[in-house]
Amino acid sequence: MPAVLTVDPGSGVPIYLQIIEQVKRSVALGVLQSGEQLPTVKQLALDLTINPNTVARAYRDLERDQIIETAPGRGSFVRKNGAEANVRAAATDVARGAVDGALREAKSLGLTRADVRATFDLALDRWFPEER
Amino acid sequence: MNAIEISHLSKRYGSSVAVDDLSLQIPSGTVFGLLGPNGAGKTTTFRCMLGLMRANAGSVEYSGRPLAPSTFEDIAYVPERSVLYEWMTVAQHVEMNRRAFARFDPSVAAQLLTRFSIDPRKRVRALSKGMRTAVMVSLAFARNAKVLILDEPTSGLDPVNQRHVLGLIVNEAARGNTVLFSSHQIGQVERAADRIAVLDRGRAILTGQVDDLKADRKIVEGVFLDGATDISVVSTDPRVARVDRVDRIVRLLVTSGADDVAQSMTAAGATGVRLLDLNLEDIFFYAVSPADATSDAATRSIAQ
Repeated sequence: MPAVLTVDPGSGVPIYLQIIEQVKRSVALGVLQSGEQLPTVKQLALDLTINPNTVARAYRDLERDQIIETAPGRGSFVRKNGAEANVRAAATDVARGAVDGALREAKSLGLTRADVRATFDLALDRWFPEER
Repeated sequence: MNAIEISHLSKRYGSSVAVDDLSLQIPSGTVFGLLGPNGAGKTTTFRCMLGLMRANAGSVEYSGRPLAPSTFEDIAYVPERSVLYEWMTVAQHVEMNRRAFARFDPSVAAQLLTRFSIDPRKRVRALSKGMRTAVMVSLAFARNAKVLILDEPTSGLDPVNQRHVLGLIVNEAARGNTVLFSSHQIGQVERAADRIAVLDRGRAILTGQVDDLKADRKIVEGVFLDGATDISVVSTDPRVARVDRVDRIVRLLVTSGADDVAQSMTAAGATGVRLLDLNLEDIFFYAVSPADATSDAATRSIAQ
C-alpha cells in the first residue's frame, strides 16, 4: 500500500498527524475499506523512510479514534464493527478541519458572523443545489 | 530505560569550552538527531561519550552502566573523519572487523557495500570521501550493535546513497535499536529522528520530540493598523518566545498555546491574525538565532 500514503517530512505539520489525516481520508473515500489491512509499522516506516516510533504513534491515535484495530501478531486493520459510522466520523473530521481553517481566515479578515453565514449559505447552494 | 544518559558533561580546550554541562537522555529504541552550528560541540560530545577523549566533568551511561570493554560490543560508531587505513583494502577492513567484534556479520557488510557500489578489492587510498563514509557506515551497520553513534553519516554521499543510509537508520529503530546521529542536513533529521537536541556553544538549547515541537511551535502573525497600539499583553505572554515587528505586522514565535495567543492578539486589536507552521529548519533557525535576525519563516510569510 505504499502508494496510498505519502508524507512530507519537511512540512510544519507533524508527520504523525499527516498519517492520521491520510488514513482517515482514505477510509472516508473508500480507498481503504472495512477490514482491509494497513502496512505494519515497520513496513510503512521503511517505505516512507520515516521514524517507526512516529508511525506507531499515528496508529495508536487511529486505534483510539476507532478507525483501525490491531490484532497482536497479525497487524492493523480498518475496523469492521461500526465501519459506516467510522467512515462518516472520519469524513466529518477531515471536513471540520477544512471549515475551521476557512472560518479562522474569514474572522481574521474582519467578517462578522452574519457575513460568514451569508457567504456560507451561498457556497452551500452552489455545492448542494439538489438539497435546497 | 534510557539507552544513553549523558549527565553534566563538560569539555574544555584550554580556555574555550567545547561542551558545557551537557545532559541528554536518549530513550531506548529512539532515533535521536543532534543538530547544531559548526563548532557547537557535537563531535566533541561523541568523542567524550566513546572514551576517545577525556571529559573534564560529567558521566555517560549506556543502559545504566558506564562505558566498559564489554559495552564496546554493543556500540558502533561512525566518526566524522575517516579512520580507515589508506593502504588496506575494503575487504581487509571487513576481515579486521570480523575478528574484532563477535556479532559482526560479514555477509551484511558485503550486501551493504554492494548497495553502495563499492568494490571490496579496492584500497581505501583509491576511494572518494563519500565512498569512505559508505565503507564506515557499512562496517557499523554490520556490527549488530544495540546503539549506533553516527557523526555526519551521510557526508559526501549522493542523494540516493544518503537515502540508503536513512533507510538503514530507520531499519535499526524498527528492530528496537537506538541511533544517535548528527547531520547538517536538517531534512534528514526531520525524516529519520523522532527526538532532537539543538546544541549551541556546547549547551543543549532545545530538546524534544520532533512532532511535538512542530505541533507546539507556531508563528502567530497579525496586523496592527494603529502603530501605537500597546501589544504588551501578547508580547509579555510567557508562551511567546520572540517578537518581531515589521511596520504594521507583528509576528510572535509561540512555544505552545498558539490558538490562545492568536485570540488575545485579536482581542488586542489585531486584524488578519493567522498561524504559520514551522518545519524543523525554521525551529532550528529560531533556536540558534538572536531575536533581531531576519528569519526564513518571516520572509516566507511576507511573500505569501
